[in-house]
Amino acid sequence: MRTSLRIFFLGGLTSYRALFHWLTPWILIPTFVVGPIFQLLFFAYVGRAAGVGDDTFYLIGNAVELASIPCLFAMGNTIGNERYTQTLGLLLASPARRLPLFLGRALPVVVNGFAVSFLVLVLGALVLHVSIPVAAWAPLVAVLAVCAFSCTGLGLASAALALRVRETAVLSNIIMGVLIVFCGVNVAVSALPAWMQSVAQVLPLTHGIEAARELVAGASWAAVMPLVRDEALIGVVYGAIGMAMLFFFERESRRHATLELA
Amino acid sequence: MPVIEVEALTRRYTTRTGFRRRTRKDVEAVRGISFEVGRGELFGLLGPNGAGKTTTIKMLITLLLPTSGSARVLGHDVVAEPREVRRRIGYVFGGDKGLYERLSGLDNLRYFAELYGVPAREQGPRIGELLELVGLTGRERERVEGYSRGMRQRLHIARGLLHRPDVLFLDEPSIGIDPVGARELRQTVASLTSQGTTVLLTTHYMFEADELCDRIAVIAGGLIVAEGTPAELKSRVADGHVVEIEVFDGVGDRLDAVRAIPGVTSVGVEDGGHSQLLVVRTDAAATVTPAVLGRLDGLALGRVATREPTLEDAYVELVRQA
Ligand SMILES: Nc1ncnc2c1ncn2[C@@H]1O[C@H](COP(=O)(O)OP(=O)(O)O)[C@@H](O)[C@H]1O
Ligand SMILES: [Mg+2]
Repeated sequence: MRTSLRIFFLGGLTSYRALFHWLTPWILIPTFVVGPIFQLLFFAYVGRAAGVGDDTFYLIGNAVELASIPCLFAMGNTIGNERYTQTLGLLLASPARRLPLFLGRALPVVVNGFAVSFLVLVLGALVLHVSIPVAAWAPLVAVLAVCAFSCTGLGLASAALALRVRETAVLSNIIMGVLIVFCGVNVAVSALPAWMQSVAQVLPLTHGIEAARELVAGASWAAVMPLVRDEALIGVVYGAIGMAMLFFFERESRRHATLELA
Repeated sequence: MPVIEVEALTRRYTTRTGFRRRTRKDVEAVRGISFEVGRGELFGLLGPNGAGKTTTIKMLITLLLPTSGSARVLGHDVVAEPREVRRRIGYVFGGDKGLYERLSGLDNLRYFAELYGVPAREQGPRIGELLELVGLTGRERERVEGYSRGMRQRLHIARGLLHRPDVLFLDEPSIGIDPVGARELRQTVASLTSQGTTVLLTTHYMFEADELCDRIAVIAGGLIVAEGTPAELKSRVADGHVVEIEVFDGVGDRLDAVRAIPGVTSVGVEDGGHSQLLVVRTDAAATVTPAVLGRLDGLALGRVATREPTLEDAYVELVRQA
């Protein structure tokens, strides 16, 4: 138990440092700060010019959505890159419990995703002169954290798949595209075709973005609670799918040598 | 009780190639091998590339299921009780991959110490001890991406020993490191067995197997073609001599003629860049040498020498027959 806890917390952080190769200021600041702010401004100004939506709408949508950059790419790296370093065989030859081994890698990613969202929210609010009610900040921060969590769940599922198909970035890019279109980031979910609305219900971020917008509009925590709960649940489901896939691939790899171990 | 028991072990790989028209191809990588390794023994699996060494090791360390047959390590079945096996064994492979480049050597070791459940307060002293053993003390805080090949290999060894495994599997550990490094590595390995660790080592270097191993199994084409102590394997070819002739022209079309000489047991050619070395095994060197020279008449010849057979000759012979 103690060993598993250490693997979850310490091991997870070590893997994140070891395998997320964006962890240098030259990549980190442009990808997690500069790029995201440009994305936010782009949509906010398009919205202003077209006379649809207000700045707050875009600020919330993009701040939450941008957590997906680390949630997908960092998660993909910290699991998928085991193949490139050829350390996967060593991991799987170890007696370590797989649940803390892989799940522990998600924790730093959640923190990373949350940090990006929070930074975009604060910087974006300053740049666009959006004022968020003081009372809304605390629950808003909680929603950002839950969204970073749920998106990391999806990231884990995608990373598991990436381990098998040997390509993390392609998949992460596609999923990012899906999220930005389907989850009500820049276009309200209600304005989407019906089938897209259905898809949005089973994606992370949709419920969280809705909850965040309601909070800024003055709703109470109790009022958005069901949305936040659904958001978290979606994260748990994707995370479980990801872990199940990792277990399955390991088993299958022992049988069919499919993970090309070392 | 033997530490490693392998019985009629086989492994087949099925590969599928092609996108539209999928074709299936089966490779019989290991075709029914059996051997036992006792406690504290240094056992060598010696064979050419593709012989099935890595496949065998992967089955023993629980990364790969056997197609048929069985294997037990320290009494635990590798299929039924993988975790019991994993806890007690160490695994090191050659080459410079398999390390986290962005981390320091120390962090690499710490990470695997966690994975193997080395208690927190023992980690520091154990890592210090191992860094000392493999000669990396003082370099442990540098990132691995700056390590030389030899340093990486030594870090690998330290990693494999963190949890004091009873059995250590070394898959071609000296591949790609310089002769001095390889010698140090052999000394390290030898010192392990003197402390009671059982080692199964694969290699395609004869002298390495000869120098290190208590017992060797020669594996070729997925089968064990010979097994014994280095001395026993040598004695199989002890009677007889080896005649080596350096040839500067193509020798290919004369080989059959040389083979036909009475008293010649086998003929091989080793490419030496600007010349070729004709290696003739015989049980009557005195009469065969002139006959061979006769068959090579007209070719530019260099050094001609007669010597005792080595383990390498035994190995080449065994592998060729397989
Ligand atoms: N994952 C794999 N899929 C298909 N064939 C494989 C795989 N791994 C090894 N082989 C084949 O199995 C045979 C034995 O390989 P291996 O055990 O790696 O040999 P060695 O380690 O002695 O060089 C070779 O013919 C090799 O090509
Ligand atoms: Mg090999």
